Amino acid sequence: MLLAAPRFALPETVTEALAALAERPDAVVVAGGTEVMPDLLWRNRTAAGFVSLRRVAGLRGVSSVDGELVVGAGTPVAALTAVPDAGLRSAASSLGTPLVRTEATIGGNVVSALPYRNLLPALLASGATLELTSAAGTRTVPFDGFVTAPGRTGLAEGELLTAVRLPAHTGFADYTKVGRRNAQFVATVSAAIVSRDGAARLAFGNAAPTPLRSDDVDAAATALLDGRADAGDLRAAVAAAVDPPDDPIASAGYRRHALGVLAVRLVTRAAVDGGLGS
Amino acid sequence: MSDEVRFSLTVDGTSHEVTARWSESLLTVLRDRLGVRGPKTGCAHGRCGACAVRADLGDGDPHVLCACLVPAATAAGGTVETIASIGGPDGELSDVQEAFLAEGAVQCGICTAGFVTAATELLESNPEPTRTEIEEALYGNLCRCTGYGRIVAAVETAARTRRGEAR
Repeated sequence: MLLAAPRFALPETVTEALAALAERPDAVVVAGGTEVMPDLLWRNRTAAGFVSLRRVAGLRGVSSVDGELVVGAGTPVAALTAVPDAGLRSAASSLGTPLVRTEATIGGNVVSALPYRNLLPALLASGATLELTSAAGTRTVPFDGFVTAPGRTGLAEGELLTAVRLPAHTGFADYTKVGRRNAQFVATVSAAIVSRDGAARLAFGNAAPTPLRSDDVDAAATALLDGRADAGDLRAAVAAAVDPPDDPIASAGYRRHALGVLAVRLVTRAAVDGGLGS
Repeated sequence: MSDEVRFSLTVDGTSHEVTARWSESLLTVLRDRLGVRGPKTGCAHGRCGACAVRADLGDGDPHVLCACLVPAATAAGGTVETIASIGGPDGELSDVQEAFLAEGAVQCGICTAGFVTAATELLESNPEPTRTEIEEALYGNLCRCTGYGRIVAAVETAARTRRGEAR
């Protein structure tokens, strides 16, 4: 442990981090700090202390294991702008600013679990799984279903997200979002696509309280990719599947419409840029 | 229960023993506890880049970051280089700073240290940046005196000067 104070711990290993957290159960686990620090400053939340993962070197890095892309939870978003997974790469490249991306981590993006987080649709579309580690060992769970409500996840007490695993795919993948301006914007709505073996899989951000995908939408997207359906069919399927929030940023009606537009945009890119489709 | 954390931090070549609250940002420690005023307090949530410093925080290669977003104690034992490390010890300006002056890229000045820090980092890794690459590298720095055109021109000038080309 590099530093241990009553309300602060700076561990160097996952084991030390778990022990530090057990001693400070009310502490916030902080990785880059890009969300927690402004939240504390602007009093959007309170915290009883920090367990920082910044110096846990074992949580950083991207590797390929058994055909999967394994991303350590402490890997900065900046490093994701160069990964082979095009959907994750695109979602990472439009997150915050270059100065934020060096600090923000994939683990923080996932565990903060807010509906507009950039990386979540990309992880859902790709069929990612999560490694969760506690003193009892490591379990692997699908990302699909991990977020249970805005800001809430299936992470148990005393458990850390240690890695994100993405299946390797040779098809087409992409991510897109819209916001209220063109610079440094948070997604009003977002969408990601992975298209492989002729089937499209879409996922959406800010389309519901949690990251959302739907078999009906994927069927309509695949039909559009094959030329068996038109864009209107996909937009209708999206509108029926989503349950978007209504807030001062945008109405639910606007979001429902925009999500259909983004879905068609991504399938069109898969057909044209990806050389897929009929 | 004590709110205090004690750690060492090297800033612009000077080592300090810091006592701070556990939740304090690196920016607050630099400015309010150590009197290092190069990094500015702008938006305090990572949007404006006025607090940008280059730091080696033991979490990979040294890089430029927003000091307002970093819990200071996570930098324990680390090294921070502010704008004061970019110029010479007696106040000589760096080539990037000279270019900012020559191109009129400085107006009120609150964003300047952050811009120069980000631009200097860019030229270290990419000596021949395109205009688009400059704009991307400076995307996290905001200027509210509408100076972007002159700032981008200054970085282009600094890059040319550094490559030994005539301006």
